Amino acid sequence: MRPGTLIRLSLAGNRTDRLRAGLTAASAALAAVALLAAATVAAIHGGDFDYRPDGRRVLAPGSGQYASALLVESGLRPGVIFALVMLALPVLALAGQCIRLGAPARDRRLAALRLGGATPGQTVVIAGAETAAASLLGSLAGFGVYLVLRVVLDRRDADGKLLLPTDVLPNPLILILALLLVPVLAGLIGLLLMRRVVITPLGVVRRLRDRGPQPWPGVLIVLGLVLFAPKTLQNLLHLTPRHWRLPEWLPLALMGAGVLCVMVGVVVGTGWISYTAGRLLRRYGRGPVSLLSGARLMADPWNGSRTIGALLAAVVFGAGTLGFRADLATDFAAQNRLGELTDPALGSAYDTGFYFGAIRLVLVAVTIALVVAAGGVLVALAEGIVARRRTYAAMTAGGVPRSKLGAMLLVVTLVPLLPALLLAR
Amino acid sequence: MTGALLSGTGITKSYGATPALRGIDVTVGEGEIVAITGPSGCGKSTLLHCLAGILRADEGSVVYREQDLSLWSEASRSRLRRTEFGVLFQFGQLVPELTAAENVALPLLLAGSGRRDAREAALGWLARFGVADMADKRPPAMSGGQQQRCAAARALVTGPRVIFADEPTGALDQLSGEQVMTAMVQAVREQGSAVVLVTHEAPVAAYADREIVLRDGAIDPSGIGIVG
Amino acid sequence: MSTAHVLLGLLAGGPRHGYDLKRAHDDRLPQAKPLAYGQVYATLGRLERDGLVAQSGQDQEAGPERTSYELTELGRERLAAWLTEVEPPAPYVSSVLFNKVVVALLAGGTDQATGYLTAQRVAHMTRMRELTATKTRPGASVGDVVAADYAIGHLDADLRWLQTTLARVAELQKEVTS
Repeated sequence: MRPGTLIRLSLAGNRTDRLRAGLTAASAALAAVALLAAATVAAIHGGDFDYRPDGRRVLAPGSGQYASALLVESGLRPGVIFALVMLALPVLALAGQCIRLGAPARDRRLAALRLGGATPGQTVVIAGAETAAASLLGSLAGFGVYLVLRVVLDRRDADGKLLLPTDVLPNPLILILALLLVPVLAGLIGLLLMRRVVITPLGVVRRLRDRGPQPWPGVLIVLGLVLFAPKTLQNLLHLTPRHWRLPEWLPLALMGAGVLCVMVGVVVGTGWISYTAGRLLRRYGRGPVSLLSGARLMADPWNGSRTIGALLAAVVFGAGTLGFRADLATDFAAQNRLGELTDPALGSAYDTGFYFGAIRLVLVAVTIALVVAAGGVLVALAEGIVARRRTYAAMTAGGVPRSKLGAMLLVVTLVPLLPALLLAR
Repeated sequence: MTGALLSGTGITKSYGATPALRGIDVTVGEGEIVAITGPSGCGKSTLLHCLAGILRADEGSVVYREQDLSLWSEASRSRLRRTEFGVLFQFGQLVPELTAAENVALPLLLAGSGRRDAREAALGWLARFGVADMADKRPPAMSGGQQQRCAAARALVTGPRVIFADEPTGALDQLSGEQVMTAMVQAVREQGSAVVLVTHEAPVAAYADREIVLRDGAIDPSGIGIVG
Repeated sequence: MSTAHVLLGLLAGGPRHGYDLKRAHDDRLPQAKPLAYGQVYATLGRLERDGLVAQSGQDQEAGPERTSYELTELGRERLAAWLTEVEPPAPYVSSVLFNKVVVALLAGGTDQATGYLTAQRVAHMTRMRELTATKTRPGASVGDVVAADYAIGHLDADLRWLQTTLARVAELQKEVTS
C-alpha cells in the first residue's frame, strides 16, 4: 500500500467522519494549548528561596518580571503546572469521545476494505492514520494558537510586570514532546476503543462481555478519596519524625494521585453504575420508557457511561483543584504562622493577592473543563442517535411514539449521571 | 482428484452448538464453475466462506494449489484473497465513500499499485461490465444492478484464479441479475478463472458446469432432499 | 391455430413465399419445433380459403416456381384481433410431469416417485444449463436469448414445483392412499 493510497483511504468519509475528524482536531488543539501553557510555566527559571548565611532568604533572580506570585515563586509553579496538565485531561477525554463518533459507519467501511483484500494490519493502519492525522493537525493548530496567544496576551501591569510568562519558550524538545503527546494519546485511545472490535471481511464483530461490569472500581475511588483527604497528609506528618522535612512535592503528589484514582475509578465505575441503574429501572420501572431505557443500559452499560465520563472527569478535576486551593490555603497559613514564629518581619512577605488570583485561575479552569465536558456529553448524545438511527427508525415504524423514544434517550443519558455524580462528590 | 485447483476435505464448522457444515468434501478444477445450491440455512454460504479462507473451518482442510490454507495466518489469507481470489457478495461489499473506479481499483491499490495504473485497469473492467459512465459516482448514487456490476468488476480486476460469488444476483431484479451473470461468466471463461457460485435459484445455478446440493450442512446426492 | 397466426404475423411486413416463411419462422422462434414445408403450404391454403391471405405474384428466378402471398384486409383484422385477445391463463392443469408424479405416488409409492423426481430434476438442470450456455455464448442473437429465457423460466417453474412437491410428498402420499 503506497502512502498516497493510505491517505486516500483514511480520508474517505462521509459527513459524520469529517465531523469526527474536525472535533478530534479541535480537542487536540485545546489539549495542546493547555500542555504548551504548562510547559511554558515549567520553563520559567529562578524564584527559588536562597538561604543566606544570616538565616534570611531571598528570591533567586530570573522570575522577578512577573506580576503573579504563582509564577514568581518556584514553590508555587508546580501547582500551576499541575492545574494546567489536569486541564488537558478532560480535553483528552473529549477527544476520546470524538473518536467514537460515527464509529459504526467507519467500522462498516473498514469491513468493506477487508473484503476488498486489506489485511487486518492495513485496516488498523488506515483507521489509526485518520485519528493520528486529525489530532496531529489539531496539535499543530494548537501550537499556532499558542504562538498567537503569546503575542496577544503580552501585557504588563501598572508596575511594568508581565501578567503572563510570554517571555519564555519551553525547551524545543519539551515543546515537540508536548505537541506529539496528544496525537499519540489520541491514537492509543483509538486503539483502546477498537480492542473489542474485530473487523472481519463479513462485517464487524463486537466481543461481548459475558457478565455485567464488576464494582471493583469502587476500591480505586475509596483509595483516591483517602489519598486526597487532608487528614492523610496530617497523619503522615504525625507519623514521621519531627526533624524530617517531607519533600515539598509530597502533598501535591498525594493529591494528584488521589484525583487520578478517583477520576479513573469514577470513569471506569460508571459502567457498573449504569448497569445497576438499568437493572433497577427494569425491575421497578413502570411504562415503556423506563423498560426500554433499562434494557438499553443493561445491554451496553459502557455507552451510557462514556457519555458522562468526560463530565465526571471534569467534576472530579474541579473538586481536585478546589482541594488544591484548600491545600494552598493551609500551606499559606502554616507558612505564615511559621514566619511569625521564626521571623515576624518575613511574615508580611506573603500577601493575600496571589491567593485570590489562584482562586480565579482555578475557577476559570473548572469552567473551561465543564464546558468541554458538556461538549463531550453533546457529542456522545449525537453519537448515540447516529449509531442507533436504524433501530430508532424501526421502533418508530413499529409504533413506538416519538415522545416515548425521546424520553428514553434522555433517561439513558442522564440516569447513570445521577448516582455517579453523587459518588464524584 | 488430480489437477484440482481448490479442494476442501471434511470441512466441519459450527456456530456455537449449531452445526453448519458436517464434513463436506468438494473440489473445484481449473476454470470450472461450480454451483453450491440448497435451501436457506443449509450452510452454503458458510462453505463458501471456508473455501475462500474468510472463515476457518473447525475441522478438515482447504487446499489451494497444494497449500493448506487452514494453516495460514489471517494476514496471508487476506493477501491471497487480494491476489488470487475475487469475492462477489449479494450486496454491501463496495465502500460507500469511494467512487466506483476507486472501489474497483481497491485490491490493486492495497497491493501497492500506483493510482494511475490501478484506475486504468478499473476503467477497463467497468467498461466491460457496461458501467463506464459510473466511474466517478459513489455507490449510493448507483442502482443495485450498477453496484453489483462494479462489485463484479472488482472481483475480476486482479485476474483472480478463483471467484467466490455468494448470491451475486440475490438483490437484483431478474434482468439485471442475468446481465451481471452473463457478463461475469463471459469474462471468467475468457480469463480461465474458476468460480464457486452460491445460489438458491436454479436459473443462476444453470450458469455453472456442475452443481453441489447442500441440505442441513451435508451434501445431498439426489439434489431433491432425499438423503440415503 | 397458432401456426396460422404466426404466418399472418410474418406476412405483416410484406409479401413472402412459402420457403421464405418457413425460414423466417425458424429464425424468429429458434427454440420452437421447426416448421415442415407441407405444414406451411397446407396452412397457407387454408388461410387463402378463408380470405385472410391472397396470392400476390409468381417469381421464377432460379429453380421452381414460387407463389408469394400477402395479407388481405380481413387477414390484417384477424391478426390485430389475435394480438389483442387475452390468452386464458392455463385453465386446466395438464402436464405430463404433473400426471406422472401423481400416478407414481398412486401406483409405486414414495420410492418410485422420488426416484423419478431425482432423475427428472437432473434432466431439467441439464437442459437449463444447455439453454444458459446458448444464451451466454458471445454473439447470441436477441431471438436466441428470448427463446432461452422462455424455456428456462418454464423449467425453473417445474423445478420449483418439484421441490415444493417433495416437501409435501409425505402428506400427499397419505391423502392419495387413504
